[in-house]
Amino acid sequence: MTVFRFVFLRSFRNTTNLIFLTLFPLVCIFMPQGDPWPVLPYGYQLFGVFLLFVSIRLASYIQVDRMSGVVKRLSIAPLSHASYLSQHLLAYLLIIMLQCVILVYGGVLYGQPLIQPFLLLILYISYSLAALAIALAWITLFRNKELAFFGFMSFVFLVSVLGGIIVPVSMFPEWLARIAVLFPTYWLAEGQLWIVYGNELGDFLFVNVVLWLYALVFMIIGSTRKLR
Amino acid sequence: MKAAMEPQLYVHTWRFLMVGVLCHLWVFGQDLTNVWILILLLLALACLRWRFALPLWTVVIDVCLCLVYAPYTTIGYYGLALPVFELAVRGRVLIAVLPFAILFLYEATPGLLFLFLLQALFVGLFAWAALGNQHSYKLEVDKQRKARYELERVKLELLEASESASQQAELMERYRIARQLHDHLGHDLTGASLALQAYVHMQEPEEARELLEEVQKRLERSTVNLRETVHNLTPVARIGVESLENVAQQFQYAAIRFHRSGDMLLVSAYQWTLLEACLKEALTNVARHSNATQVRVELQVTASIVRLLIHDNGTMTQPSLAGSGLRSLQMRARAMGGSFSISRDDGYLLVCVLPLSKEGAG
Repeated sequence: MTVFRFVFLRSFRNTTNLIFLTLFPLVCIFMPQGDPWPVLPYGYQLFGVFLLFVSIRLASYIQVDRMSGVVKRLSIAPLSHASYLSQHLLAYLLIIMLQCVILVYGGVLYGQPLIQPFLLLILYISYSLAALAIALAWITLFRNKELAFFGFMSFVFLVSVLGGIIVPVSMFPEWLARIAVLFPTYWLAEGQLWIVYGNELGDFLFVNVVLWLYALVFMIIGSTRKLR
Repeated sequence: MKAAMEPQLYVHTWRFLMVGVLCHLWVFGQDLTNVWILILLLLALACLRWRFALPLWTVVIDVCLCLVYAPYTTIGYYGLALPVFELAVRGRVLIAVLPFAILFLYEATPGLLFLFLLQALFVGLFAWAALGNQHSYKLEVDKQRKARYELERVKLELLEASESASQQAELMERYRIARQLHDHLGHDLTGASLALQAYVHMQEPEEARELLEEVQKRLERSTVNLRETVHNLTPVARIGVESLENVAQQFQYAAIRFHRSGDMLLVSAYQWTLLEACLKEALTNVARHSNATQVRVELQVTASIVRLLIHDNGTMTQPSLAGSGLRSLQMRARAMGGSFSISRDDGYLLVCVLPLSKEGAG
């Protein structure tokens, strides 16, 4: 787990990164509740967008390794690519999970109406996994770190608007509402709706399964050293 | 461009295209949101097939997933195109037809669905043929490459053997000359020498005169023997630089200026063979392909190298790739540790440089 420890420390070595990773969840806790939408306080809705940014920020370290030739050098080291990647992703997931824990239980302590905090935490973790996988797949498409980041910003804006995080899907025309389902952000919003109004646990499980499938698909795509 | 010619690229593209078609059907159809999970699962399998070589039995998973959803949505039937394609790509045509039977069993009027699966079958078969051809071409190329390496190795061995034979022949010739001198010349000269020593101590004039005559006879016989030995040893065929000069003199298609410098005896017999071949090849090329009127041939021998330069004033552009004759010479020159270069900038210039061994020809 040497790589895991190194990645974990590397992510917090930079002061800007440290502030970025810890301060924003705290800010989200104190955001007000919307009426009648979103169903959870604004901070919990925007946290979905924030998680995408955190994912690309963390995944860009892998891109830096790829571009600087570290991955190439590692190929002759007694460390498989799968091990390198899994330890990276595990470290990143742990960092994001910590943020989710801070947000959810911070909200509980502050007194936000989260209805089912534990299930909300599970939803955020499933979504984080998908977001991380998307970021990983995204950086595989680009050779330049900055280009990948700015491209991802446009992508995040698109999926946030079309996925129902910034604008409710119920406002969309029917055909656009169907397209919204294709984006992982839709399933986060869907999961949050279930947490507030849902009854059957199967529906919540379904939302999580879809997010895990997104994670699987994008992780397979992102696991290539570079797209040929 | 090379990657675009890979059949495997089109196989992957087709898989993702089919998943795209399923997405399109879902977005513009009236299916439930639950059906989206089927598309995601098929997409995950397509991604896995893109990254890893999954075993053939995994198509059972695709078929099962499609059959589970088939009663609720036609996307389930359309999804069967993926296992049909996978089976066809692996050449399992008969098994690939089975999903068609499922289609006719459960759908009364398959119509478009039938055509959709049919195109998957044909694309799969086409991909199977393309991949098969590519595989056989790769095997053929590997075989040819191996044969070429083997041929080059044999050529190098032959060159080494030729060099060794040349050295052996040289040693044998030295031995033959030594034996000839010892048997014929040495015997008489020793006798004459001993007779002259005895002559000094002779008292009787008559005996001294006979001894002197004997010495004279022996010396005359030695002279005849020496002349005959030298005559027998002189080669009839031209060798070395003479051979090169002869080749140059025989050439009638253009005027040749032949210059030589240095000690020609430093060049070994097997090196002369190559130099002669270079000159002949260059002059043949001049005669066949060039409009040159003058050819300059320079042979320079230094303490460490021998350099043959052939330069003509031809203006015709020749094919950029060296022919098999030139390639063979290039390889032989390399095998001897030398170099063989060609330039077409100003006429046709051919330079062959060979290193000389420290012992030289001797």
